[in-house]
Amino acid sequence: MELEERARDSADNCIACTSCVAVCPVTKANPDYRGPKLVGPAHNRMHFSDENDYEDSLKLCSNCKNCDITCPNGVSVATLNMLERAKYYKAHPEKHTQADQMLSHNFQMADMLKSIPFGRTCANIGMSIGEAMGMMGAMGIAPQRKSPRFATKYFREMYKEIKQPEGLTKEVLFFPGCFIDTNDPEVGVAFVKVMNANGYKVLMDDRFKCCGSPLVVGGYLDEARSHADNNVAIINEYAAKNIPVIACCTSCSLMLKAEYTELFAQEEMAQAAKNVYDAFEFLTILAEKGELKKVHVSSDKKFIYHAPCHLRAQGMGMPAVDLLKEIGVNIDSADAGCCGMSGSYGFHKENYETSMKIGSELFDKINASGAHKVVCDCGTCREQIKHGTNAKTTHPIQVLAKAYEQ
Amino acid sequence: MVKDKATVVVVGGGATGVGILRDLSMRGIDALLIEKLDMVNGASSRYHGLLHSGARYAVRDQEAAKECIEENTILRRIGKSCVEAISGMFVQVEGDDPDFVDPWVKGCAESGIKTRELSKEEAWSLEPNLSRKLVRAFEVPDGAIDGFRMSWQNVQSAVRYGGRYKTYTELIKINIESGAVKSITVRDNVTKEEYDIECEILVNAAGPWAGKVAQMAGLDCSVSPSKGTLIAFNQRISNRVVNRLRKPSNGDIFVPHGSITILGTSSITIPDPEDTSTSWEEVEELMKTGEGVFEHLRDYRILRVFAGSRPLYVPKGADGGRNASRGFVTLDHEKEDGLKGMMTICGGKFTTYRLMAEKFCDVLAPKLGNTAKCRTAEEDLVPAVSEADKKAARQYFPSYGVNLAATRLGTEKFPEVVKTLKENPETREVLCECENVTMAEVMRIAQEPTSHSVADVRRRTRLGMGTCQGNYCAIRSAAIANKLFKDKLEGCGDSLSDMKNFLQARWKGITPVMAGKTLREAEMTRGMYEVLFNVNGGRR
Ligand SMILES: Cc1cc2nc3c(=O)[nH]c(=O)nc-3n(C[C@H](O)[C@H](O)[C@H](O)COP(=O)(O)OP(=O)(O)OC[C@H]3O[C@@H](n4cnc5c(N)ncnc54)[C@H](O)[C@@H]3O)c2cc1C
Ligand code: SF4
Ligand code: SF4
Repeated sequence: MELEERARDSADNCIACTSCVAVCPVTKANPDYRGPKLVGPAHNRMHFSDENDYEDSLKLCSNCKNCDITCPNGVSVATLNMLERAKYYKAHPEKHTQADQMLSHNFQMADMLKSIPFGRTCANIGMSIGEAMGMMGAMGIAPQRKSPRFATKYFREMYKEIKQPEGLTKEVLFFPGCFIDTNDPEVGVAFVKVMNANGYKVLMDDRFKCCGSPLVVGGYLDEARSHADNNVAIINEYAAKNIPVIACCTSCSLMLKAEYTELFAQEEMAQAAKNVYDAFEFLTILAEKGELKKVHVSSDKKFIYHAPCHLRAQGMGMPAVDLLKEIGVNIDSADAGCCGMSGSYGFHKENYETSMKIGSELFDKINASGAHKVVCDCGTCREQIKHGTNAKTTHPIQVLAKAYEQ
Repeated sequence: MVKDKATVVVVGGGATGVGILRDLSMRGIDALLIEKLDMVNGASSRYHGLLHSGARYAVRDQEAAKECIEENTILRRIGKSCVEAISGMFVQVEGDDPDFVDPWVKGCAESGIKTRELSKEEAWSLEPNLSRKLVRAFEVPDGAIDGFRMSWQNVQSAVRYGGRYKTYTELIKINIESGAVKSITVRDNVTKEEYDIECEILVNAAGPWAGKVAQMAGLDCSVSPSKGTLIAFNQRISNRVVNRLRKPSNGDIFVPHGSITILGTSSITIPDPEDTSTSWEEVEELMKTGEGVFEHLRDYRILRVFAGSRPLYVPKGADGGRNASRGFVTLDHEKEDGLKGMMTICGGKFTTYRLMAEKFCDVLAPKLGNTAKCRTAEEDLVPAVSEADKKAARQYFPSYGVNLAATRLGTEKFPEVVKTLKENPETREVLCECENVTMAEVMRIAQEPTSHSVADVRRRTRLGMGTCQGNYCAIRSAAIANKLFKDKLEGCGDSLSDMKNFLQARWKGITPVMAGKTLREAEMTRGMYEVLFNVNGGRR
């Protein structure tokens, strides 16, 4: 592994230009946060001085990666922050709150509920009651929010019932990720439809675990590492068979494509990354080869698109919006920065205000747009948008699947 | 005009001079130290900062090796606020002479230096960046020592015993009457005033300038300044001192110092100790050797290059350079040259500065009828800031800043700075983000009588010595500090020229390594100061 690719060593590239500070949404919304430059690369040099000292405001970083996107020198600022956060919790496991525990381990909860008859329905009712009784606040979860409800049937269950057309010769492996699997399975269903329409059979592998993004943000780095090792082995297994791995959630795909390598600096992770695609990235490659199913949308119903930060962090433009425009969808990008949710960040009670302040620009643009639906690749961004605007939301793959249905 | 008087005047505010000042003061002898510029202007800051275990000298010079390990042990004890009590490694890589190891291990054992062989895996796990071409590795008790802090702490210790010091005070003439030194003439380099100081004994501790000082008394003292070049990297590449296990030569040693690592050094005999120039060629030579130990060395960011001159004493007839003795001499000019009231100390090492002072003062004190014993090894240089004070400071200090500021500021100034931070939240602003220096600390040091420029503040705070090399702190601190200088002394307080001088001095160390990441930073500086602020004014 080249030195330059290791997050810790990337701090050496920082020229203190302060661009990251200028774009960090948390710095702007919450003056208590000391900013990416200081907390990331600058402190990275100073950690030697005191093992027992920690930057208190580090907990305010949302891992949204706007700093990384902007940095002209390739510093993995957000990952430096996450590594440092992990170090802190390793030394102080008792500091983990109930909310950290819950929000980072949603996948465990989801698995457990699946094994209990009516577990999910009961849990959803429980959540409604809990919210009504103000229990969420007591646990450290923002009481203003409605927690995403568990789907009564997870995608992995629905997948088994989907009849994919016979005779599809090309295959892709789907990485559903927790949100799509357990909260929003319809996105997965739409993905299968789109891939099938393009001549691909969609495979699933039950050995996949949560990508680990919520674990990293919560400071559970060792657990994240075990998820990474597990997932990377699977991806490389499929890579050997020339089967690409595709995710519809941009935080999952960022994790698989970049964050594993940044965090853990393993050669096999860098290898696996080459075999992972975001859904629209993959479809765009098909389009460029002239292999994408042709379709034209005639309705001029207006959509507005929100680009998730973790999509922008992948440095590939906005393939979903470009592709949808190409087929005639009336869609424009809101171009309003971060929505403020950053995965589980905005669910924490103490981050709620910051989260909503960050999102306000996006909310205003959406409200003023007159669009009938907001399109966004990220599940938790969609939750935030629903919460901040009452707008209807959808994943771009669902828009494309609809177009194919016409 | 005689303006001052001291029993002993010590010339030179380097390790040797401050060591003697402390030793004399502790023996109850009235002593005054003069330094021509800011304290620690010479070799004692332009050096590697290795607290030698002696292992480097174990084969060639066991006398020196023994002195080193003894002093190393003492300094770890009395200098907790300036010594980084880390350890060191000697590493042999492919291609190094395997036959060097046995005599070296034996030499260390004979000199009383503990070594422990590490397996390659152990060495790599301790220092992951070590070359994969590692063959053997040994652990030794090397450490790191901060020249600025150590020297100031000696001065502070001396002051508690009545010692005095004057910075920016240059010896320009030695006044001799009937075969004895009567007084010296000095120039105040801030006010340009010249005046005399009477003394009974003049101590020439001017390091590489010792020959020039001796000349002022018409004496010939063969000091050959030997220049060494050092490279400072932007981060700690290792957490231990790493030496190459072979016959000592250039570019053999990496010393981690706080947030940085220093690689060095070379050895070139030069005529003038003021020559601290460096060149790309010297850097290349060091890098080539350094790569042997850390194979990714070229990927690390270089902060700057600097050079200093060793005060090597060359007995008549011998040659200089790396082969000259690293030992030291005490010259009693009464005995040697028939001049009463003047002594010279020359040569040696930073690591052995205390021992040098002890031996020197053992000769000097009896001349004044003083028979007190040396006590410098018995007492800490400065008392440590209490854990309670540090704990209280945490809520106002930037994180990772408390320990560093406590060792820099000491028991007196640290609580004062904490108080300022507490009472005036504005001063919590971090002026130097790379080295974590707050406005309160800059203000406190700027108020010291010895501070006349941001550069003086820099040497006592590490302001501007980190990643951005002054980019941000220059402009921030020049204004704040100069307001305080202005109140102190007429002629001080021109913040624009102070800021420019400060940056220019930083620039000097950057120019020879203007490539890669260092170049990007330099362009940033240029963009800010020359384009945005237009500090040099437009062309008409
Ligand atoms: C590149 C290099 C690396 C080194 N590395 C190490 C190391 O790792 N470990 C170690 O133990 N040793 C090391 N040394 C050796 C060590 O630095 C020196 O032996 C030691 O610092 C010498 O201290 P000094 O006080 O004698 O001289 P200096 O520190 O040079 O002090 C002399 C002072 O005298 C002042 N002065 C000169 N003329 C006048 C005058 N006319 N009036 C008033 N003041 C005057 C100067 O301004 C200067 O501050 C290194 C030396 C060099 C050059
Ligand atoms: S990840 Fe986001 S919140 Fe964290 S420092 Fe970077 S920009 Fe700021
Ligand atoms: S944008 Fe990059 S180079 Fe600039 S301050 Fe931030 S981390 Fe450093």
